[in-house]
Amino acid sequence: MIEVKDLRKYFSSGILKKQYIKAVDGVSFQIERGETLGLVGESGCGKTTVGKLLLRLIEPTSGKISFDGIDLLQLKKKELRKVRPRMQMIFQDPEASLNPGMKVGDSIAEPLKLQGGLNKREIKNKVSELIETVGLNPEHVNRYPYQLSGGQNQRVVLARVLALNPDFIVADEPTSSLDVSVQAQILNLIRDLKRELHLTLLFISHDLEVVRHMSDRIAVMYHGKIVEIGNAKDIFNDARHPYTNTLISPASIVDIKTTSDYHGVSGCVFYPGCPFAAEICSKKEPEMVEIGSGHWVACYYIS
Amino acid sequence: MTTLLEITSLKTWFPTRDGIVKAVNAVDLKIEEKEKLGLIGETGSGKSILGMSIIRLFHSSAKINIEGKIVYKGKDLLRLSEEEIRKIRGKEIAMILQNPATSLNPVLKVGDQIAEAIQLHQRLAKRAASEKAVEMLEAVKIPAPDKMANKYPHEFSGGMKERAMIAMALACDPSLIIADEPTKGLDVTIKMQVVKLLREVTKQRSMLFITHDLGVAAEVCDNIAVMYAGELVEYAKTEDIFKNPLHPYTQGFLNSLPERGLKPIRGMSPSLINLPDGCRFHPRCDYATGICKTRHPEMAEIGNGHFVRCLLYDRS
Repeated sequence: MIEVKDLRKYFSSGILKKQYIKAVDGVSFQIERGETLGLVGESGCGKTTVGKLLLRLIEPTSGKISFDGIDLLQLKKKELRKVRPRMQMIFQDPEASLNPGMKVGDSIAEPLKLQGGLNKREIKNKVSELIETVGLNPEHVNRYPYQLSGGQNQRVVLARVLALNPDFIVADEPTSSLDVSVQAQILNLIRDLKRELHLTLLFISHDLEVVRHMSDRIAVMYHGKIVEIGNAKDIFNDARHPYTNTLISPASIVDIKTTSDYHGVSGCVFYPGCPFAAEICSKKEPEMVEIGSGHWVACYYIS
Repeated sequence: MTTLLEITSLKTWFPTRDGIVKAVNAVDLKIEEKEKLGLIGETGSGKSILGMSIIRLFHSSAKINIEGKIVYKGKDLLRLSEEEIRKIRGKEIAMILQNPATSLNPVLKVGDQIAEAIQLHQRLAKRAASEKAVEMLEAVKIPAPDKMANKYPHEFSGGMKERAMIAMALACDPSLIIADEPTKGLDVTIKMQVVKLLREVTKQRSMLFITHDLGVAAEVCDNIAVMYAGELVEYAKTEDIFKNPLHPYTQGFLNSLPERGLKPIRGMSPSLINLPDGCRFHPRCDYATGICKTRHPEMAEIGNGHFVRCLLYDRS
């Protein structure tokens, strides 16, 4: 369904002396149809940028993205608009994703109106159908976002995302602003909907336990690179990369590494914080190596 | 062990146009010396307001009714004048507020903000206070503390800001720290570093640790109090809360964790204006019977130091 090859996104800053921040630095992966790929990593590792790049909400510096056989980066604006309804994104903060001055029913109807082809009554029916799908009550249609709780607002966002029958959804920390019990409701809802509607999902989170629950496969990202990828089971039972291990058992705490520590590092991205670092790690970047079926790691210590 | 703080039937109510918000509704709680007490509950359960009530951290124009007793070292904090409570606030009892990004003054250097807190309570020259501020930053393990003291909050990362908040709270050597969600919004690895630091710096102090993160509470706390809709529903040793949760709400809360199967509690927390009759949890409870709708259960001791507010365990 999705194939990403050597994707890069560098942000530049400074006028006189340009500095580059390598938010995404050579990322490759695939997502099969109907699969959920979990993307986990700390804030600032570039996982949200990957999500936005996949939908071409921002333009990559280089790389290739194909969506259901279509080369996304070659599409012109008009052509892209035709593909867009098939891919949607759920953002972190539901309150910030909804227009505060718009009734939630209108928010959900908006994409249907933009798409055209439906009359007022059909739109109204579709909205009530969507409201029910995401577990809200019919009377919620006339409420404003501030009258709803965080969990309810995230349901509204979900309804809007589903309005155009997408095939692929990027969920970017959809529950990070919610309480645990509400988080459980929303995560279960996303999982059930995914199954019923045969969706393909990229699930982004910094919470490994949440990702485990949601994903078929997991990619672990660190400082713009994927350091390990594999089946959810393998990542948990047989994590190889030292960074994945610190995520799983934070007891083995790594010291704080500020971004400045990474300037000029030419070798492994995790080298400055790695307890197993050897000389080669600082010099040459490790390649991804397959160590089990579909289980890839970029680490000299392992390979 | 001696009791450092004892709260008796504390009520913090906010009269509003829509009705009275009963944020804290008859809470009894004790904190011993050197005890780390966890206060867990969801958004809107009143746990932050409970923390703020202790040092009366409300704007003077806010419409609030606080009733009950909060006895700290023999003094009832609720009977103190504004001037008297000021001497306790920040010095004897310090609070680490939620969200360091908005708690720190964005236009003041971090070192100066800590020095300000020190000068409020100690007769120190500006220079000495600044030196003390650097010392505090060093104590919370901020690298190159003398340099970082001269930086502004936006130059600090999330974890460093949290450390700066902890440094500020520790600056006047308080006996009790109220930490309100100090790990909210931090990454897993950074979170564990902050937890480790909090454990170290509170070895000789008491702490009221407010959080909805059960994993963190388990790491830090000796005892845990569970709050729901403005009142405590369970209180026990940390181990007992995790191994043998009694209240259906506590059980549901634990079961909704991803590592315990992500089974949500049905329904939503009630509005603090319109509390349900009887047990506050009965509309969401799987074990609720007719009597739960009308009778409001009291906190009762079930086992050794394990208290629960639920009619399932009521033997009377």
